[in-house]
Amino acid sequence: MAEEFNTESMLDMFLYESGQLLEKLEGIILEKQDADCFDDSDINEIFRVMHTIKGSSGVLMYENITKVTHKLEDVFYYLRESHPDDVPHMELVEKVLAVSDFVTGELDKLKNGDTPDGDEHQLVEDLDEFLGRLKGEIKKQGIQMPQANKHEEPKQFYITPVAGDDSHFYRISIHYRSDTQMSNIRAYSATYALKEVAEDLLYTPDDILSNEASGDVILAEGFHMLLQTKSSKEEVIALIDSSEAEEINFDELTKGEYGKALAEFGREDAVTIDLGEEDKAEEKDKKKDKPQPGDYVVKTKEAGKGKTLAKNQPKQQSIISVNVEKMDALMDLIGELVIAEAVVLQNPDLKVPGLELSNFQKASGQLSKITTELQEVIMSMRMMPLTNVFQKMKRIVFDVSRKLDKDIELEVIGENTEVDKNIIEHITDPLMHLVRNSVDHGIEENAEDRTTLGKPAKGKITLEAKNEGGKVYISVKDDGKGLNKEKLYQKAIDKGLIENKLISEFTDKEIFRFITLPGFSTKEEVTEYSGRGVGMDVVVKNIQSIGGRLDIESVEFEGSEMTLIIPLTLAIINGIVVQVGNSPFVIETASIKEFVRVGEDSLIHEPSGEEYIVLRGECYPFIRLNERYDLADSISNVEEGIVVVLEHEGSQVCVLIDKLLQEQEIVVKPIPPYVKKVKGLSGCTQLGDGSIALILDIAGLLIQDGERR
Amino acid sequence: MRILLAEDDFASRKFMDKQLSRYGECDVMVDGEEAVDAFLMALEDDEPYDLVCLDVMMPVMDGYQVLKAIRDIESQRGIPKSKGVKVIMTTALNDERNVKMAFELGCEAYAGKPIDVEKFEKVLNKLGLI
Repeated sequence: MAEEFNTESMLDMFLYESGQLLEKLEGIILEKQDADCFDDSDINEIFRVMHTIKGSSGVLMYENITKVTHKLEDVFYYLRESHPDDVPHMELVEKVLAVSDFVTGELDKLKNGDTPDGDEHQLVEDLDEFLGRLKGEIKKQGIQMPQANKHEEPKQFYITPVAGDDSHFYRISIHYRSDTQMSNIRAYSATYALKEVAEDLLYTPDDILSNEASGDVILAEGFHMLLQTKSSKEEVIALIDSSEAEEINFDELTKGEYGKALAEFGREDAVTIDLGEEDKAEEKDKKKDKPQPGDYVVKTKEAGKGKTLAKNQPKQQSIISVNVEKMDALMDLIGELVIAEAVVLQNPDLKVPGLELSNFQKASGQLSKITTELQEVIMSMRMMPLTNVFQKMKRIVFDVSRKLDKDIELEVIGENTEVDKNIIEHITDPLMHLVRNSVDHGIEENAEDRTTLGKPAKGKITLEAKNEGGKVYISVKDDGKGLNKEKLYQKAIDKGLIENKLISEFTDKEIFRFITLPGFSTKEEVTEYSGRGVGMDVVVKNIQSIGGRLDIESVEFEGSEMTLIIPLTLAIINGIVVQVGNSPFVIETASIKEFVRVGEDSLIHEPSGEEYIVLRGECYPFIRLNERYDLADSISNVEEGIVVVLEHEGSQVCVLIDKLLQEQEIVVKPIPPYVKKVKGLSGCTQLGDGSIALILDIAGLLIQDGERR
Repeated sequence: MRILLAEDDFASRKFMDKQLSRYGECDVMVDGEEAVDAFLMALEDDEPYDLVCLDVMMPVMDGYQVLKAIRDIESQRGIPKSKGVKVIMTTALNDERNVKMAFELGCEAYAGKPIDVEKFEKVLNKLGLI
C-alpha cells in the first residue's frame, strides 16, 4: 500500500523507464555479442535508448548519467550516419556494457535513496578516445562526416526532493491521567514540540485548540499521533512532555503500516501540519483523473483545523493491481474454454440422426452466452484509455513547438478510447515519433508561409483515436506543408533505397511509403527532435509487430495525415469456416466483402496461367486454393464452388472454395514451429470436431499473388 | 535579482524566504491570488520579477493556476517566451502527472519538497539567475 503512494512519482517513473530501456539494450547487446557488427536497426535502437536516458536524466539533473549516455549516443550517431567498416565490434560491445553497468549502478543507488555519485570521468575519457579513433577511421575510409550531433541542454528541470527513505514512522498514543487539566493544551504542546522534527504529523482528535470539549475526548480515548520523521525514537520521546501522562505508547511502523494507519485516521478528521499527508491522499484519489490547475486550491483555514482542499474529493474506487502474467494466463484459459465449448457443442456424437436435442440446445445457448460475456469481461479488464498516451503527446507538441518557436494548436479527439494494455505499450513510441514529425516537419517554419497560402497563421495538429470494426484508428493530422512527391521520389532514388523506376510507375501511397524506409530523411537540416531518420522505419516495425499498419495520406501545401490502424485485441477473432477438399480454412469475417457464384464466362485466363474474375465490370485476381495448396478431392469447376471476395488495405483478391461451414469465434494460435512457414497462412485453430483449421492471411495471399506476376 | 515567493505554510515560508534572500530581494505572498497581483503590480511598475517560486497547495488559487495566469499575462503583453519570468514550483506533489502538467503549463523547474538546496542552487545557475 505504501509503495502505491510513490509508484507514480517523477523519480520512480524515471527509474522504471530507464530500467526497462537498459534491459532492452542488454538484450540487444547480448544477442549480437558474437556477431561481426551491429545491424542498422540495432544501432538505431541503442541510439534511441541512449537519447532517451540522456534526456530524462538531464531533466532530473543526474549529470554523470547524462554525460555518459550522451557520449555513447554520439558514438552511435556516427556509426549510424557514416556506416564505417571495420568497427572493432568486441570493443564496442564492451563500451556499451560498461555504460549500461554504470547507469544501472547509479539507478540502484537512486533506488536505495542514495545520491548517484559514481565517477564518470574514466568512462567518458574511454568513450572519447574510442570516438576519436572512430572518427579517424571514418575519415580514412573517405566517408563524409555527418554534422556534429547537437546536444541541447534541457530547459526544464525537476529537483528531486531530499530522499525520505530513511524516515521513521511512529504511532504515538498518549493517555493522560484522568484528573489532568486542559489536556487539549497539553496535547497541542506535544504536537508543537514534534513539528520541529516532523516531516508529516497527523493527530486525532484534530480540533484540540478550538474545541475545549476535545479535552474530554482525549482523557477518555487518549491522544493519538502519527509521525513521520528522521529523528530516532529516543529523540522523539525526549521532545514529548511526559508529565501528567499516564502512559505513552510508542510503536515504530513500517512504511506500509504507516500508510494503512493514515487511511484509518481518515481524511475527514485528519489534521495535517505538513503538506505531506494531503498530497498522499490526493494522489490516491486522483490516480484515475488527470490533474488540472485549480485542483489544489486550499480552503481558508478554520481556526484549529487543518488544511482541506476546496475541491470535493471523489469517492475512492477500490482497485487492486494484478500481475499482467496472471491476466495473460486467464486470457489463454478463456481461449481454451472457447475451443472446448465448440468441441462440446459441435461434437460429432450429436450428429446422430433422430436425436432429441431441444433441452441440450437450450442449455448450450446459455453456455455460449456466458462464455461470450466472460470474454468481454476479460477484454475490458485489459482495456485502458489512451488518456495517458495522449497526455504525453500534448507535452511533446508543447515542448517542440516552443523550442522551434512555432505557434501550434493541438486538438485531441477521443482520448477516452480504450485499447488493450499490450497495444498501449507498443504504440507510445511510434505515436511520439509521428507527433514530433508533424510539429517539426509538417507545420511550416514561418507563419508567413502559411498566411500566403490562405491558412491561419497558427498551425494545427489533430490527434484522433476511434474504435471502428474491431480496429483502433489513431491518426495524427497536421495542416502543414504536406509531402512533396517529386522530392520524396528523388531522395529515395539518390539514396538508392528503391529500384530505378519512373515516378509515374508508383502510386501516391507507394511514394508516401518511402518515408518509412530505413535511412530516409527529407529534411536537409536535422533538428534536435526529429529528422535523424530514426523514426519512421522504427514506427512501422513496432506497429507491424502488433499486427497493425501505418496509412499515410498527404496533399502538398494542405497537410498530411498519418493513421495507425491496430487490431483491438490480438487473440480472438470472428471468423468464417470454409472447406476446400477435406481441409477446413478460417477467414476473418472483417476481411470478407462478399460471397458470389460466378459462371465460367466471367473468368479471364492469361497465357502465363494467371486467372482473373470480372464482377460487375471490375477485374479481380483469382486464386484457386485447391491448386495453391495441392488439395485433393476438391471442386475445380467455378460454377459449382463459391467465390469469396476478400479485401485487405484497399486491394481485393478472390478465392475459390468448396463450401461454407459456419461462423464462429476463433482463438488464434500460432502455427507450430515444426511446420514450415507457408505463405498466405497466419495461424491455426481448433474446430469443434477437434480438427485443425488453418487461418488465411489475406495480406500474405496478396503479396504472394503480386510476386507471381 | 527580484524574487516573488508564494507559500501559505508558515514553516516552509520562513525556510524559503531565508534561502532565497541570499540571492536577492524576496517578496513573500501567502496565497495564489496575492501572488498574481504582486506579479502584475511589478509589471506595471516596470520592475518585473526575475524569479517566481510557487507552492502548489494554497488558498484562493493554487500554484498551477498562478503559473498559468502568469504565462497568460505574459503572452497577452507580448513578452516573448525567452524573456518570461523564470518559475520554479516548490511542492510535495511529486507524482509524474503533476510534474508533467506543470512543465506543460510552462514552469522552468519543479522542486519536490523537502527541497534539495544544493540542486536548487544548481538550477538557478543553469537558468542564468545567479
